[in-house]
Amino acid sequence: MDNIENVELIVVGGGPAGLSAALAASDYGIKVVLAEEREFLGGQLIKQTHRFFGSEKEYAGTRGIDILKRLIEDVKNREDIKILASSRVLGIYEDNVVTILNNNKMKKYIPQAIILATGASEKFLAFENNDLPGVFGAGAVQTLMNVYGVLPAKKILMVGSGNIGLIVSYQLLQAGVSVAAVIEAAPKIGGYSVHASKLKRLGIPILTSHTIKKAVGNKKVEGAIICELDNNWQEIKDTEEFIECDAICLSVGLTPLIDLLKQRKVKTVYVSELGGYIPLRDENMETSIMNLFVAGDVSGIEEATAAMIEGQISGLTVAKRINKNQKEEIQRKIEEAKKELVLLRSGPVGEKIRKGLSKIGLNHGENYDESILKEEFDISYLMKTGVPSKENLESKFPKDKKIFDKGPIAISECFQKFPCDPCVKSCPFNAISENGNINNIPYVDFEKCTGCRICVSKCPGLAMFVVHKNYTETSSLITMPYEFLPRPKKGELVNVYDRDGKIICEGKVIKILDSSFQDKTAAVSVEVPKEHFLEARNFKVRYLKHE
Amino acid sequence: MRIEQHPILEFKRGKVVTFFYNGKEITAYEGETIAAALYASGIYTFSYSKKLNRPRGIFCAIGHCSSCLMEVDGVANVRTCVTLVKEGMKVKSQNMDVTKHGQY
Ligand code: SF4
Ligand code: SF4
Ligand code: FES
Repeated sequence: MDNIENVELIVVGGGPAGLSAALAASDYGIKVVLAEEREFLGGQLIKQTHRFFGSEKEYAGTRGIDILKRLIEDVKNREDIKILASSRVLGIYEDNVVTILNNNKMKKYIPQAIILATGASEKFLAFENNDLPGVFGAGAVQTLMNVYGVLPAKKILMVGSGNIGLIVSYQLLQAGVSVAAVIEAAPKIGGYSVHASKLKRLGIPILTSHTIKKAVGNKKVEGAIICELDNNWQEIKDTEEFIECDAICLSVGLTPLIDLLKQRKVKTVYVSELGGYIPLRDENMETSIMNLFVAGDVSGIEEATAAMIEGQISGLTVAKRINKNQKEEIQRKIEEAKKELVLLRSGPVGEKIRKGLSKIGLNHGENYDESILKEEFDISYLMKTGVPSKENLESKFPKDKKIFDKGPIAISECFQKFPCDPCVKSCPFNAISENGNINNIPYVDFEKCTGCRICVSKCPGLAMFVVHKNYTETSSLITMPYEFLPRPKKGELVNVYDRDGKIICEGKVIKILDSSFQDKTAAVSVEVPKEHFLEARNFKVRYLKHE
Repeated sequence: MRIEQHPILEFKRGKVVTFFYNGKEITAYEGETIAAALYASGIYTFSYSKKLNRPRGIFCAIGHCSSCLMEVDGVANVRTCVTLVKEGMKVKSQNMDVTKHGQY
C-alpha cells in the first residue's frame, strides 16, 4: 500500500506531555509526527497565566504560558519533529495503522511506536438548570478569558475548590470579573492552601460544605441557589441562599480522554483517585499494547509538571527501543526522570496519586522517610478557611520577636507540604531552606536574610512577604506581591487588608519593584501603622477603574 | 465584552472581520473562534436542545461537549468553539423553535 507512510513515532496531543515526549524522543534522533487537533500547540498550558509549582528543573516559578513558549520554540526548531496541527487522529487499528484527518484529507501512517497524550475533559455536575447558557466548565472560562481576551461574565460563582477552581477564580479577578464565592461540597478546600489564601486576602468567600442546587435564569444564568451540607453530604434544611451572578463556573474535576485507547482495546481500569478510567501501564508509560505509550492526564489526572516528566519518560523509552546507540545514556535519563517523579509525588498532597497508582500496581514513595508523608502542622483550620491559624503563623515568625527589630526580614506564609521550591532557589543569600525534599516546608534563616525582597516576586504561591517592623517610630513597611491593574503609584494611599480579606487600615505606597525581573508580580512596599505589622498582607488601590 | 488591559497577558488581536449570526452582523477579530466572537458580542445562546428546545451556550470551549453546535455556511453541527471566524460567514442557531423564540 503506497499511500501509507512508515514513521518512527506518532505523538498524539500537543499539550505539555505530548510536547515533552516529542522533544525527548527527538533528542535521540527519533523522527516524530506530532498530531494536534487544534490549530495551535500547547494544550491547556496556553491558558495558564500563573506560575508553576514543582522544582526549578521542570520550570517551577515560570508562568504556564512562558513554559509553553519555550517548549513550542524548541519543537519548531527540530527538523525531526513534523507538526500536524488541526489534525484529528480518527483511528488506531490492530494492524498498527493510524489514520489522521488533516485539512479534510485522510492520512495513513504505520508508526513503530505511538505516544498518546490526549489529556482530559472536564467533569459535569448534576443540578437543576445546569444546561443554561452561562454554566461553564472552568477550562472554558479560561479559554475565553486568557486565549481570546473575552470577558466570560461580570460576576461568577465558582463551584469546586481544587487547584483549578482556586486558580481560575484568581485569574477571573485579574481579568476584572468579580467572584461571588467559591463553594466546595467537601468539608475542606481541595487545592493548595497558598492558592486559597491568595483569594481570601482579596476578600473572596470560600464556603466549604456548600453545594449548588439550582441555576436561576430564563435564557441565561442570572443567579444560583446554593445550600449547606452536613457531614453526610446531605442538605441542611433552611440553608438555601440565592447568589446573584451572571455565570456559574464548574470546576469539579477532570477525567482522562481515553477514547483512542479504547479503540485499540488497551486495558483500562477505574481508579477514582486518578479521575476515572485510566489505562493500565508500566513505569515506562507503556500500556497493555506493546509500543503504545501514554503520558499526561490521559494516564491519570495530575499536575502539568508530572505530565511533562511522563512525556519525557515515554519519549526516552521509545528512543531507547528504536535507537541503536546511546542506550546507556538514555537509560540514565529515564532513571533521572523517574526519580524526579517520585520526589514530586512524595509528600502528603501526592498521597491520592500514590494510592491511585498502587491500584494499577505501580508503587511510589515506599522508600520515603515517613516524616515527609505527614503534614508538619495541624492545617485543618487553614484548609477549611484559607486563613492560617495563629499557631501556624507563630511557627513561621521568628521565635525571638526581637529579630523583627533588626531590620526587614522575609516571612514565608507557606504551611502545607507540596512540591515547590522557587523561594529556596531564588534567595541569593541562601536564607531559605526546605531540608532536601521539595515537599518540605520552607524556613527563613533570619540571620542570613537581608530583606532584599527578591523572593516576594518569585514565589508562585504569593506567600512570601518582607516585613520591616521599625520603618519609622510609628510605622512598619510591608512588602507584598501584587498582580493586578492598575498598578499603584509611589506615594499613593491604598486600603490595606488582613489575611481574611478584611480592611484594617490605610497605607502609603513607598516603593514598587515592577521591572522585567519581577515578571509581572510586582513587589510593593506599603507603609502601615506599626500595630498592624503582623496582619497587613494585602492592599487594593482605591480607584479600580483602569486609567 | 473584551478585556482591554490585563496584568499578565497582552492580547494581540488580528484584523477585523465581520460575519453574520442569524442575519445580524457581528464584528470579530481574525484568529478567534466563532464562539468567542459571539460571546464577546453579548450572544450567549448558540442553539436549542432538540427535544425541549432549551437554550444552549458554550460549556467546554475546546470541542469536547457539543453544546455550541451551529449551522455554519449551510453545514449543520459545526463546533463553533473550535472553528475560526471568516469574513462574511453565515452562522445560524440550530433547532430554534420559532413559535417559542420568535422569528430571526
Ligand atoms: S528577602 Fe532576600 S534575603 Fe530574605 S529570604 Fe527573601 S530573597 Fe532571601
Ligand atoms: S513559599 Fe516557597 S514553597 Fe511555598 S509556595 Fe512560595 S515558593 Fe513555593
Ligand atoms: S463548547 Fe463544548 S464543543 Fe464547543
